[in-house]
Amino acid sequence: MSHTTQSDPPRAVRGGAGTTRVLPLLARVLGIGIIAALAVMVTPALVAQERWGFLAVFWGVVALLLAVYATKRAVPAKYLLPGVLFLSLLVVYPILMTFQLSTTNYGDGTRTSKEVTVNKIIASAAFQEANARRFTLAVGTEGTVDAGPYTFFLVDQATGDAFAGTEDGLTDLPADATVTDGAVTEVPGYTMLTKQQINTLSNTGGPLEGFTIPTGDNTVIVAQGFQAIELTSPLVYDQANDTFTDTRTGTVYTPQRSGDRSYFTDSEGNRLSSQSWGESVGFDNYKRIFTDPRISKNFLGIFAWTVVFAVGSVALTFLLGLVLAVVLNESRMRGQKVYRSILLLPYAIPGFISLMVWSSFYNTDFGLINNLLGTHVNWLGSTALARSAVLLTNLWMGFPYMFLVATGALQAVPSELKEAASIDGASGFTHFRKITFPLVLVSVAPLLVASFAFNFNNFNAIQLLTEGGPFSASDPTAGGTDILISYTYRLAFGTSAQQIGFASAISVILFILTGVLAAIQFRGTRVLEDVN
Amino acid sequence: MRRIPRGLAVAVGASLLLAACSSGTTTPAESSTDSATDSASPSESATDAAPVRGNEDLVIWTDDTHLAAMQAVADTYAKANNITVGVQAVTDTRAAFITANQAGNGPDVLVGAHDWIGQLVQNGAIDPLQLSPDQVKAYSPTAVRAVTYDSQLYGLPYGVESLALFCNKSVVGDTKFATLDDAIAAGQKALDAGTVESALNVPVGENGDAYHMEPLFTSAGGYLFGKDADGNYNPDDLGLDSAGGLAAAAKIGSLGEKGSNVLRRSISGDNNISLFAEGKAACMISGPWALNDVRAGLGDDGYTLQPIPGFAGMGPAQPFMGAQAFYVASNGKNKAFAQDFIANGVNTVDSMTTLYKMANLPPAMTAVRDSIAQDNPDFAVIAAAAESADPMPAIPAMAEVWQPLGVAYADIVSGADPTKSMQDAANAIRTAIAGS
Amino acid sequence: MSATTQTTSDTLSTAGGPPLRRDPNDTQPHGARWWREIGWRHIVGVVAIVYALIPILYVVSASFNPIGSVSATNLIPTQFSLTHYESLFNDPNRPYARWYLNTIIVAVVVVSAQVFFSALAAYAFSRFRFRGRRGGLLTLLLVQMFPQFLAVVALFQLFSSVGEVFPAFGLDTLAGYILLLLGGSLGQVWLIKGFFDSVPKELDEAAKIDGAGHAQVYFQIILPLVRPILAVTGLIAFVSVIGEFLLASIFLRETAVKTLAVGMYTVLDGDRSNNLGWFAAAAVLASIPVVLLFQYLQKYIVGGITAGAVKG
Repeated sequence: MSHTTQSDPPRAVRGGAGTTRVLPLLARVLGIGIIAALAVMVTPALVAQERWGFLAVFWGVVALLLAVYATKRAVPAKYLLPGVLFLSLLVVYPILMTFQLSTTNYGDGTRTSKEVTVNKIIASAAFQEANARRFTLAVGTEGTVDAGPYTFFLVDQATGDAFAGTEDGLTDLPADATVTDGAVTEVPGYTMLTKQQINTLSNTGGPLEGFTIPTGDNTVIVAQGFQAIELTSPLVYDQANDTFTDTRTGTVYTPQRSGDRSYFTDSEGNRLSSQSWGESVGFDNYKRIFTDPRISKNFLGIFAWTVVFAVGSVALTFLLGLVLAVVLNESRMRGQKVYRSILLLPYAIPGFISLMVWSSFYNTDFGLINNLLGTHVNWLGSTALARSAVLLTNLWMGFPYMFLVATGALQAVPSELKEAASIDGASGFTHFRKITFPLVLVSVAPLLVASFAFNFNNFNAIQLLTEGGPFSASDPTAGGTDILISYTYRLAFGTSAQQIGFASAISVILFILTGVLAAIQFRGTRVLEDVN
Repeated sequence: MRRIPRGLAVAVGASLLLAACSSGTTTPAESSTDSATDSASPSESATDAAPVRGNEDLVIWTDDTHLAAMQAVADTYAKANNITVGVQAVTDTRAAFITANQAGNGPDVLVGAHDWIGQLVQNGAIDPLQLSPDQVKAYSPTAVRAVTYDSQLYGLPYGVESLALFCNKSVVGDTKFATLDDAIAAGQKALDAGTVESALNVPVGENGDAYHMEPLFTSAGGYLFGKDADGNYNPDDLGLDSAGGLAAAAKIGSLGEKGSNVLRRSISGDNNISLFAEGKAACMISGPWALNDVRAGLGDDGYTLQPIPGFAGMGPAQPFMGAQAFYVASNGKNKAFAQDFIANGVNTVDSMTTLYKMANLPPAMTAVRDSIAQDNPDFAVIAAAAESADPMPAIPAMAEVWQPLGVAYADIVSGADPTKSMQDAANAIRTAIAGS
Repeated sequence: MSATTQTTSDTLSTAGGPPLRRDPNDTQPHGARWWREIGWRHIVGVVAIVYALIPILYVVSASFNPIGSVSATNLIPTQFSLTHYESLFNDPNRPYARWYLNTIIVAVVVVSAQVFFSALAAYAFSRFRFRGRRGGLLTLLLVQMFPQFLAVVALFQLFSSVGEVFPAFGLDTLAGYILLLLGGSLGQVWLIKGFFDSVPKELDEAAKIDGAGHAQVYFQIILPLVRPILAVTGLIAFVSVIGEFLLASIFLRETAVKTLAVGMYTVLDGDRSNNLGWFAAAAVLASIPVVLLFQYLQKYIVGGITAGAVKG
């Protein structure tokens, strides 16, 4: 089919506007139909699960598709929509979510809601008294397996005494129950649950989650796996006053603020638990970026090096790539293809592999570079050398791409220009500088800017090569080769506690910085004008 | 025809969505059993294109090095209880676990080092483990101390690790050194003779290594955190810039690149073991994880192993003791099986023996430890070293120590002023602890 | 169909190359002139090749060295063994072949989608004049400068809730990971747009006068013309997908669904000093598809980009 239309496109097209529109129309109807059918199919499930967000997205997409493809208007949108949909849902939406996160204190110790934290604190304070009883557990129900009500049938592992337990308390085991090998296996009138069923029903949100049998003022029996254990809970939470009281000592803990979060703390400043809870903090994280002395002290220096690193990486890779492209762009040269193939190899190796291999090259005593050169230089030991090492490695990784791009751009320079220039008697270099280079630069400028943006946030290049080092003991947070993203990554996720809300704020700032810098460069390279 | 590309995309999307709908009813193939070594035919690979997240009855997360051992005990438990298990090696296990557990996407059981506990508890990510006193007694007291946090038992320890001194028999002879100075002297002699390239390997690297330097630091008089009356670490008592700490820093400086050049930044965690295993270092400080490589490189009888001795005339060297343990995830999908797996499946002599063999760690269960003392004297040495050591602090404040202290060590080794470097690090750590 | 495009690209590549009026062998200069015009280029080329190859040689050498540690490896292998390659295929805990297959699946789907969607959008930006065009282009560029990795926490939360509703697209699924990477669907718009710009508009206009719809013009006339740039952008996308491991290490945790990058990184992360041999062998094999693709696409990469000359 494609052959007939391809071999003679004009005639097929001329065949009449009426007939040629049938196929696209059919495909269009079919495509929209399938998507709409899908949306209809998933709707009941989404409604049942109360997933309103997903529902809205699904039907929104259907509506958009209908609006764009079922009508003859908005032709550009027909081309843009698929990609823009993906971009909006998977890039723009996460960016907005990141911004939302940046206004919270989300991170280590604050991942849970206050309610969950309170429950966790109570649960993790429960302990076994010296004489605590342990039971082998069986679970039965008089109702249905899925809905209960449930009864725990317990056999004391020390004494062999057997009980029935509900959330009202312990009672004696019904006399007609069967006990085999220290476990209740059958109780008339009850359906006994299998281990699988117990496991499923005990999950978060399941009916057996938090099933407790009270046995005293502070003591309860709870399940642990397929056993049950008597635990004593020393903490009482008073919802009205928002306080914890330790019944053993009478100490009262109230929430007290520390930094961006609160802890339950007693009057002497001792914390009940290292757990806090998530809260909205407004723009505090942004304020902190500009006021925290640890950050503001290093920010300018790191920012400067980040720019140098990004510009340097782009300039060096482009220069080397261009020089090689010019040198090898000589059709009379034998083995041109072989050179090109080999020069592209570094690009073919996945980046993280190259970085890890290169990081071992720089070792003072055992590294390849010192071995080959016969030197004894600690490449990663001083800031200046480590920075050169980072640039050298990035050059190796990046020049093949630029070589590729520059080769293409060079060949796109119209040959008439070259001939005209040589007739005018311009020397090779003058000609290159005045005619070829500007032409090449214009055509690759957007790529250079994109490459700058990529290197500005090239986390891998720093993290896998130097981890930001070398560091000095007086300032162990800012390393000599740290760029903004590696520095903030360490602040947020590094060895110390994770501060995701704070890191999100930095991500947003980085995003803005990258955008502004890129926009400035675009103006500089007049690409903006080219857009029009 | 020209519409085909888009039509195809829709069709592919539709089939994937349909697969999603049907996946709930079919039992997923056990991911652990279908190894990819068989060359899948094209039709098979098409169905494999969208594997479904494992819905095993028990999901365990560990790192790559412990994967095989976990698989073995999990398979045994699965068989006995007629359930399915999935064991997964996860990059950056601890951080991935906290995030995934929070999102309800994590495993049921986590396996990892005991010093994770502080951060895990802070995030409410693991549940206390209620073992009977008798069950707890079956384990070495130091291991139990390591997995106890805020007076609650949080993990079931299966292995202990501690640094020890490895020496190459053919280089320094079959001697047990009484002091670290003796070992260094013997190594230095070999170095001068050109037999080896390093007298004593202690990983430093460009950014320092506070873990491996700890035995040297403690022997020379330093300490990290003081302890309160109950034996818990006190984050307010930082000992780095105490008189002892500064003296220890000076001692480390004297062994550094501007001193006797025993300690060097070119030796790091990346090459420490391989240099020794290839016979290029006379002695090395490392742990049980090095044994396989050392035996492969130097032969089963080519090396000596002993607890790290102290410096001559100074205190004993006290490395960190570490325990590897099982934890119950607080937000797992199969809590009952997870609790039962740890309390009854792993907590047996058989399982602990399997773990010891496959994870290649000195066991934490005393019965297993006693039974292997004859066959595996190396593990007896490391277990003994671990027993006399202090557990690595699991308190959240410890997270603020590694980086600054490591950097200070790297600086001192490079020849910077030891007192200033150590004081700088101590100040940075105090600021960080106060800010958290 | 293939026949038509074949001839198209052939004409383009010769049209763009330097005019070859005589047989190239006749133009070969000799002696000093050869050195001045050609010879020095070989010297530069050889130096560049040494720079490019040394690290690669090292990896290849490590992959054949049975000891497999950093310090034991030299540039020229002193010992030769295939142990590391064998171990790639017989350790069930590191199903290298499976990871390989996963990577290819992800790469093929993501690259095809990215090139296809980018080409669609690029065409709209190149040929149509509509409100918001300029702003759209720049927004696109800026948004794409935001590394997806910075939003990793948000993405993780997004996909874990997607997984609750559509398990086939949740975490630990290749489909979910592919969907995640499709966020970059418009990643190649700029490159392709530049190329479209160089295709004369008279071509579309002539076809439209003949009564062809815009879709017909696009799929039948324009797309075949720009196949070279599709090849180049496909290659660039392929390389970036193969090397992506930051997101993969967070989204793909089950052994069976890992890609090469995250699988290999997990192994090396576990023990850096002693898995070098395994890693090197894995890296050598992992690079092969990319190298082959490069070789196969070279005629497009070099000859193809010259289509820009049509404009001049």
